[in-house]
Amino acid sequence: MTKLIGQRAVASLLSLLVLMVLVFFLSRLTGDPAVLFLPIDATEEMKEQFRVLHGLDRPLLEQFNQYVLDLLQFDFGDSLRKARPALDLVLEAYAWTLPLALLTMTFVITAAIILGSLAAFKVGGFFDRLVSIVSLVGASAPDFWIAIVAIMVFSLSLGWLPTSGVGSVAHWILPMAVLFIRPFGLIVQVVRSSMLSAQSSAYVKTARAKGVKNLRLIFIHTLRNGMLPVITVIGDQAAAMLNGAVIVETIFGFPGVGKLMIDSILQRDFNVVLAAILVTAVAIFLMNILIDIAYGLLDPRIRQ
Amino acid sequence: MKPLLVGALLASTSVTSALAQTGTDITVVLSEELDLVEPCMATRSNIGRVIMQNISETLTELDVRGDAGLMPRLAESWEDKGNGTWQFKLRQGVTFSDGSAFDAGDVKHSFDRVFSEAITCESKRYFADTKLTFDVVDDTTINVKAEPAQPILPLLMSLVTIVPSETPMEFVRDPIGTGPYVMTEWTAGQQIVLDRRDGYWGAQPAVTKATYVFRSEPAVRAGMVAAGEADIAPQITAEAADNPATDFAYPNSETVYLRLENLDAPTSDIRIRKALNAAIDREAFIGTLLPAGTELAVAMVPPTTLGWNPNLKPPAFDPELAKQLIAEAKADGVDTSLPIEIIARTENFPNVTEVAEALTQMLTDVGFNASLRMVEVAEHEQFYSKPYPEFEGTRLVVAQHDNSRGDPVFSMFFKYASDGTQSGVADPALDEMIAKASAATGDERAALWSETFAYVHDTIVADVLLFHMVGLSRVSERLDFTPTIATNAQLQLSEINFK
Repeated sequence: MTKLIGQRAVASLLSLLVLMVLVFFLSRLTGDPAVLFLPIDATEEMKEQFRVLHGLDRPLLEQFNQYVLDLLQFDFGDSLRKARPALDLVLEAYAWTLPLALLTMTFVITAAIILGSLAAFKVGGFFDRLVSIVSLVGASAPDFWIAIVAIMVFSLSLGWLPTSGVGSVAHWILPMAVLFIRPFGLIVQVVRSSMLSAQSSAYVKTARAKGVKNLRLIFIHTLRNGMLPVITVIGDQAAAMLNGAVIVETIFGFPGVGKLMIDSILQRDFNVVLAAILVTAVAIFLMNILIDIAYGLLDPRIRQ
Repeated sequence: MKPLLVGALLASTSVTSALAQTGTDITVVLSEELDLVEPCMATRSNIGRVIMQNISETLTELDVRGDAGLMPRLAESWEDKGNGTWQFKLRQGVTFSDGSAFDAGDVKHSFDRVFSEAITCESKRYFADTKLTFDVVDDTTINVKAEPAQPILPLLMSLVTIVPSETPMEFVRDPIGTGPYVMTEWTAGQQIVLDRRDGYWGAQPAVTKATYVFRSEPAVRAGMVAAGEADIAPQITAEAADNPATDFAYPNSETVYLRLENLDAPTSDIRIRKALNAAIDREAFIGTLLPAGTELAVAMVPPTTLGWNPNLKPPAFDPELAKQLIAEAKADGVDTSLPIEIIARTENFPNVTEVAEALTQMLTDVGFNASLRMVEVAEHEQFYSKPYPEFEGTRLVVAQHDNSRGDPVFSMFFKYASDGTQSGVADPALDEMIAKASAATGDERAALWSETFAYVHDTIVADVLLFHMVGLSRVSERLDFTPTIATNAQLQLSEINFK
């Protein structure tokens, strides 16, 4: 297991290095930040002054060398637009994205596993059909539409929840609920189909013949073996959330890393883009390690 | 446990909403977060709405609510001393929010920052071709010499905010100003809070505290005012503006037009330019894709600008005339089949894609070989500003230009002079007219600009002027506040009262 994690770590580190080089050069092909920072009628002299101040007038390779040297000292440079350390901006945004992603995924995983397992127990029954319909709607409904409708219903019509912002616990309910729906829809379907194939296994039939009670049969015998594909999908969905939930952040005014990253790309704020990508990549790398450990815990063959 | 949790959550919500509506504190919901809260960047609209005349003040101020013209603010009076020199007499007894006294040295330092090589201040662009020399006569008198002479120097003073002499030559995060408010909190990504301060030299405003929050989605901004979570949403869309009691339309000083390249075929032929103008049914956009109240444009600047020419009329929608003009040009050897690519920027203004699609279709209907290309902001800039990329036909750039400064000089050189950054015109006669109008003063200045507008619109038909846009604001019913043409660039809290 340790060897597996070690191999993963080395591979991820190499991927990170390649990613950083690619993003550095590709981002600089997308346009001149001076044009976007300054007004449309700024003089050429002002644009050149901006480039000189931020080292953008220097040859690209020289900029890259400087960037690598700074990076070795964990210096990502300042945001071109906000005049603040890029890493600070990204970490501040992650302080919002991380709890939002962790809490939402905890609810998603718990609900999807319980409901997906129970649905698979009596295929074609009322509960199975209900879960299937709800999960299909959840997996296919657009976040943007759900978010706006949720605000109209729960904030404007009923007045139960605030429309947006992060001022109190109540502010988290709508963003989390909207974020919950799509991954829940996907994962509950994977749990259901995975449980269905596990149920046809000989060991489940044996356990049933031995008189093992239903709940124990579902959640102890079947679920453990049915979880491997589910964990893979959970990993994908969690990675998407760690990238930030751009639509939810945009609509609910949630200051997470997704909107920061998109805004920085649009504004050619190179240092913030690079910092955000690197931090996100590290977060996803750590999450993949956790997924590998989970695989190992569930399946002894992987540990060996 | 569960009912308890739900109850606690709902209780916290109602407390939050109630606080937003309490007494003389207000909440303003803006469409984008501020990157900086730097006084020398206050001419950028999203920064200006928070800083301009709230935290930091200028020497002069343009009256946008009445017809007082240029009014005193930190300068009590000004006088043209000749030879390009203006003398400004400063207000006495003014202090900054850090307690230090305001004097002429602060004015000089504020301009030193604007022109500093160490930071890129936005307001520097207004002095691009002018060298300013500051002579501090005494604490309350300063002479400013402009080379070449700048007849609208007092107006330009309304664009530069004054900071204390101690302000460093770098962007600050805790702006100090002479305004009636002081910034007491800036939580990045969440909110900015301004508190009314004691010791302001002028009358105390009614608003005691303003909290600025940021939401990108217009429906959410409108919803926040409707739900009582905010008091003013300066920018909402027509779709969200469904309550006549709280929603106001106001001219927002933006003009939308199609920039033509007068040197490219086929738009180098004036008949083609006239045909483009005749092919567009401008009225059809208003009240449909664009909000009611939008006006047809006949100049690059809004009607409140100096030298506005009331005699200019928008071109009539006449597709038959357009077809006839194209046929005449073709008969004289103009290649009217050359491609015309319309370049428009996504999110430039509400419904920009639909507006650009309709424009393209109208041009196609009269026989132009027109196509549409939607681009994002950085790519749009490549087409909008010189040097323009080569193309086998010509490109028509859908652009929006803002001039709430009261004088055409902020628009006309850039958009129409041969050396103008976004100009599609190279006409020596027009260059001379712009130069003469820019150098003139008083009534002569107004008359010269008026003639220039007519020359651009009727004589050379330089472009396809389309609309003077309106903005839509939602204002809580508890406030006594009407948005103005300046609301696009600044939101003075002192203009807000309670019913």
